[in-house]
Amino acid sequence: MKTNHLLLFCLAAGCGGLLLAEDATVPAAPDPGRPFVYRQWDHFSTANGLPNDHIFAVKVHGPKVWVGTEDGLACLDKRTGEWQSWGEKDGLPWRVVSSIDVNPKTGEVWLGLFGGGLARFSAGRFDHYHQLNSGLVNDVVYGVAVEHDNVWAATTAGASRYDTIGDKWSIYTEQNAPMEEIWNYGVCYNDGLVYLGVWGSGVLEFDIATEQWKDYLDPDREMEIDLYRDDGIIHVITTGVSYIEKALWVSTYFGVCRYDGRHWRGWYARESGLPSDFNNAVKGRSAQEAWYCTDKGVGALMDFDTDTWVTYTTDGVNHTGQAVIQRGEQVLATVDTGYNLSHNYALAVDFDGNDVWIGTSKGLCRGVGAGYYPRLQTPPSTTDPAGP
Amino acid sequence: MNRRFQCHTLTAALTLGTALAGPLQAEDYALMRQPVYIGVRACSACHAGEARGHQFSKWRLTAHAGAYASLAKPEAKAIAELAGIPGEPQTAKMCLGCHATAAEAEDWERLDTFHVEDGLQCEACHGPGSEYATREIMMDRDRAMAMGLKMDAKERCLVCHRDKGSHKAVLNTPPFDLENAWQRIAHPAPKDPVEPLPAPADPADGAAPGEHQYTGVMACSKCHQGEKFGFQYSKWRDTPHARAFADLASPRGYEIAREAGIEGDPGTSPQCLECHTTGHGQPGTDFLESFDPRDGVQCEACHGPGSDYSPEQTMKDKTAATAAGLWKPDESTCLKCHANAHGKPFNYREAVRTIRHPNRPRALVSKPEYKTPLFLGFNPDGSELWIPCEAGNSVIIVDPVARVKVAEIPIGGQPTAVCFDPPGRRAFVSNRLDDTVSVIDVASRTVIDTLVVGDEPHGVMTDREGRYLYVLNTSIDSISVFDLATMEETKRLTASRAPWLMARSPDGTQLVVTHTLPRFGGVRHSSMSELAVLDLATATVESRYVVPDANLLQGIAWHPSGEYAVFTLLRTKNLVPMTRLLQGWTITNGLGILWRDGTVDQVLLDETHRYFPDPADVIVTPDGRYALVTSSGSDRVAVVDLARLTSMLKAASPEERRRIFPNHLGKPTEFITKFIPTRFSPRGIACAPDGKTAFAANALDDSLTVIDLDRLEAVGEVDLGGPREISKVRWGEQLFHSANIAFRRQFSCHTCHPDGHIDGITYDIEPDGIGLDPVDNRTLRGVNDMAPYKWTGKNPTLKRQCGPRLAVFFTRIDPFTPEQLDAVDNYICTIQRPPNRYRRLDEPLTPAQRRGKAMFERTMTNDRRVIPAGQRCTTCHPPPLFTDGRVHDIGTQGPLDLASRFDAPHLNNIYDSAPYLHDGRAPSLEEIWTVYNPHDQHGITNDMTKDQLNDLIEYLKTL
Repeated sequence: MKTNHLLLFCLAAGCGGLLLAEDATVPAAPDPGRPFVYRQWDHFSTANGLPNDHIFAVKVHGPKVWVGTEDGLACLDKRTGEWQSWGEKDGLPWRVVSSIDVNPKTGEVWLGLFGGGLARFSAGRFDHYHQLNSGLVNDVVYGVAVEHDNVWAATTAGASRYDTIGDKWSIYTEQNAPMEEIWNYGVCYNDGLVYLGVWGSGVLEFDIATEQWKDYLDPDREMEIDLYRDDGIIHVITTGVSYIEKALWVSTYFGVCRYDGRHWRGWYARESGLPSDFNNAVKGRSAQEAWYCTDKGVGALMDFDTDTWVTYTTDGVNHTGQAVIQRGEQVLATVDTGYNLSHNYALAVDFDGNDVWIGTSKGLCRGVGAGYYPRLQTPPSTTDPAGP
Repeated sequence: MNRRFQCHTLTAALTLGTALAGPLQAEDYALMRQPVYIGVRACSACHAGEARGHQFSKWRLTAHAGAYASLAKPEAKAIAELAGIPGEPQTAKMCLGCHATAAEAEDWERLDTFHVEDGLQCEACHGPGSEYATREIMMDRDRAMAMGLKMDAKERCLVCHRDKGSHKAVLNTPPFDLENAWQRIAHPAPKDPVEPLPAPADPADGAAPGEHQYTGVMACSKCHQGEKFGFQYSKWRDTPHARAFADLASPRGYEIAREAGIEGDPGTSPQCLECHTTGHGQPGTDFLESFDPRDGVQCEACHGPGSDYSPEQTMKDKTAATAAGLWKPDESTCLKCHANAHGKPFNYREAVRTIRHPNRPRALVSKPEYKTPLFLGFNPDGSELWIPCEAGNSVIIVDPVARVKVAEIPIGGQPTAVCFDPPGRRAFVSNRLDDTVSVIDVASRTVIDTLVVGDEPHGVMTDREGRYLYVLNTSIDSISVFDLATMEETKRLTASRAPWLMARSPDGTQLVVTHTLPRFGGVRHSSMSELAVLDLATATVESRYVVPDANLLQGIAWHPSGEYAVFTLLRTKNLVPMTRLLQGWTITNGLGILWRDGTVDQVLLDETHRYFPDPADVIVTPDGRYALVTSSGSDRVAVVDLARLTSMLKAASPEERRRIFPNHLGKPTEFITKFIPTRFSPRGIACAPDGKTAFAANALDDSLTVIDLDRLEAVGEVDLGGPREISKVRWGEQLFHSANIAFRRQFSCHTCHPDGHIDGITYDIEPDGIGLDPVDNRTLRGVNDMAPYKWTGKNPTLKRQCGPRLAVFFTRIDPFTPEQLDAVDNYICTIQRPPNRYRRLDEPLTPAQRRGKAMFERTMTNDRRVIPAGQRCTTCHPPPLFTDGRVHDIGTQGPLDLASRFDAPHLNNIYDSAPYLHDGRAPSLEEIWTVYNPHDQHGITNDMTKDQLNDLIEYLKTL
């Protein structure tokens, strides 16, 4: 217990990942508090109007929740509670919607289509951009991100940037970017920086102002082992990136990590609340909080400074679920949440005020965040091990 | 002096070192083998004199050498205007493409030794010389060709020497005789060169150096050219003075020399050179490097060596210039050489008149300057009516009570539409040519700001609160949103194709936008047009409603109840052969009704005996009783009784509304109250806020028709001050916009070529009547020199295209008379191509465009296979027209096509005339190659990587 507190204190003080030995002379630090746990979950499936239960993307924009599925696009209008969906017969250019972003200025929805390129959905009209009718580098689009008036697409053969004002396409591959592999999985934009998560090439950073690239690769170059802890990105098989409040959150198929511009910090399932090292996606809510979608549930790092996690898993058969509160390796509490995730195989996550939306391989769910608080709160009493 | 004639010995490294400033970038390394232009002067170092058959001098005496200078002539300006080329020919890429060398090259591709003023130089035919123009390489023809030397077949001359309507109309030149021309410019080097006689003693030997040095004419030309200086350089280039040295190499030159007892090459004789060059006899130190004696009798022959007076500051001060050596030539100056020269009499006054070169702009040819009012709008309190005038580049203000013009404010190019901010303090006028919106202070009537917007702005409108200004960028399918507090563009919304006009709902919550071009629907599909509805609270597009089977949605107005909006439309039955015109089944014209719930109705405004062609604008009277619709093709305003119209619709079955009414020529009599005649081509219409009067803008009459809304009659006209004279071009414009040419006035030329451009539709215009040979409609912008016409290239001239053939295949009525045809053709020739938006004048290419240019000009595939000449881009699309004017089989024959060979279209402004290929099957440039060139018949393109294709397209957009 003392050791853990010391470790957490050290982390909070910026010691990075230094593992300290137990020191009996150090007094026990006070409990820093407990994270918020989502106990109320709503579930959406084809029964509610979704066109398909295999959810690949979810994006919240204002009163609307856009959902990309294996067979169509769906939108929930939270004001009315009504779902609307579009398939190929409705003009959706391709059935598989793998990623979604929204231009905050125009409200236009950009869709990454797995095998079908890109689509712009604007007031009911789909405009289709693919490798045969546009400058898009490839039709297998995993990720899409809006950056100013440009749209980035992470594709299986490089990244594309579409200037919607100048109607100009740029392609980034190994020819003109430090892309050791060209299989781009994820892309995000924030604060003047675009990040690409590239399968086999770690993370690439593109500075919009200077148009310069920077690459983040695993320094030990080892695929199976992590030779030196926190020396860089945890693995180059990157699946997702999310940049917020100067913190870069990264998911890979072999663990996850975070970079604050100076220090890297990585996590494996064995030492954290991460349900699995096989991560499909990540979304940062702040520099302290990020949610990781894995093949065995969702790991939410609720407070980076104290390494406090909440791990959500469900029993897909009985529709039960639990949240495990964990600080580092230590389990602090286990909470029966009832049916939480629609399925443990999670592929997408987005935040909606206090709520959180998670897309899984068998439906979409919303964690209702009534009473949500960021980071930690000190429990008012010890009667509830899960905290407030 | 001989040292200035040394052979050119550039190496590639030196070339690049000169051409590329700064450290080499990775991109530059890729260009290491890029040849650059060295100029004729470098070539002449070897290719002059008897031993080389006086090749340089022969060239100097050809029209090629004076090609650039000829662009300064008034005839060139007239040709440019006919070809739809704005500005001075000497700065127009299209003209320079054939009148200069390396017009398509960037600055870095030309060495300092290269001068565009030298016209069509050696490298125009033989390719940029930096890589091959050394003595060592040139001695081996194969090696030289491997290094870029071109020895094109004579047919290549036809790229420039093709029939051009503009040139023929002005110069009335006979057809180009290729064989004859080829002989005239032949410049073989002697197989057995004459052994030159020993050069005579240089008279400069031992001569005392002068006080000033000679700079050469090219140094003078840096300032003394262009309109500002009265094209002085070009005028000189067109005189015998400029050819004086070259003349020495002509047979006559030799003959005169022999008569004077001079043996050998007159070009080396001091006796000849004294009067056929400049500064002869002075020591070599008297000549700057820029001086070239082969330029003959140059500026400094009369004005003295210019090294000290030529700086601009000195030249602006006559006293200082004189002190620095500027001579004032007089008769004695000329007589030094012209006194009894070769027995020719010399008249000083006449000679001076011949070579006079005043330094002032050319006198403009007076021609009528029309106004062409398009759309119009009242200021909020109704006290003023503002009318943007497209041809007048101004906005005219009319007092609607007195019905007189009270002011005219010059603004940008092609002003189109106007709106006001809610207090009426600022007016906003879109300038379609300039891509700007002029912000005008209403009180002072002055332009206070100019907003840069998207391409070809058209409709403008603010929201009711005055938060945002919306501008429709009609050429790039977008809507610019400006914050009126900061005057900054905050966002650009996506429109459909060619957004045109918009109307604000009475409750101020919505704007509805019309579009003139239909969405891309594919070959042999009817049109699907769009109305976009903007939510003004969020300044976003809220809804898009499809108007089936309709196109050219233009004017729009809301009913004051807010229940619905009405808009003008055409129903072009492009799937029906045009020859079905007699059945009344080709193009119908009507009105659309957009109900608040998004439902769309369509009705016609045509009557069976007389159609209502080209409905352009609509207003609804403030009391909601009537809609007034202009027909620019029949010079009328239709008055629609809206109560009757809506009652008819509400009483009808869904089937009637969906299928019957949109096509029913009998229905309009139920709701059209009357037709009010106007003057030529009414376009915009506006209603005074008091609801008593409406004003229609007669675009081709420079007037307004005043309509009394109580009596529903035209009660007067407002003269906007255009010229009374109707020029041939203006007459042609009126004919172009009039439906009198079509059976029962169903359509005008303007109907399918709105404003000379495209309607985005594929037609069946062949006489078979069974749907064969569908063709995409092509733009008329800059069409004059693009013969032959038709996709099959069957029509050699515009006159043939627009003559009897038009009557047979389209209009089914008596054709234009010869005079009318002449006028229409004259007008069509003046339809200008807008400035290229992807590469402004004098802008360098972007890196992607530069890479794309290399792809366009490539001769090797990525795996280093030679691309056969017939499959290179530049073979069929050579600059400057980017068409060879021939038909080619590029593998695009479709199941409905009888022919397999189609006209190679020009590529200028290719970005603004989608869809592409002969039947419009390719909505995007990419698809031309990614989808419709599977066997590399349309150029070798399948080896290109995706980024190479992207680069190629980026370059194509700059043409």
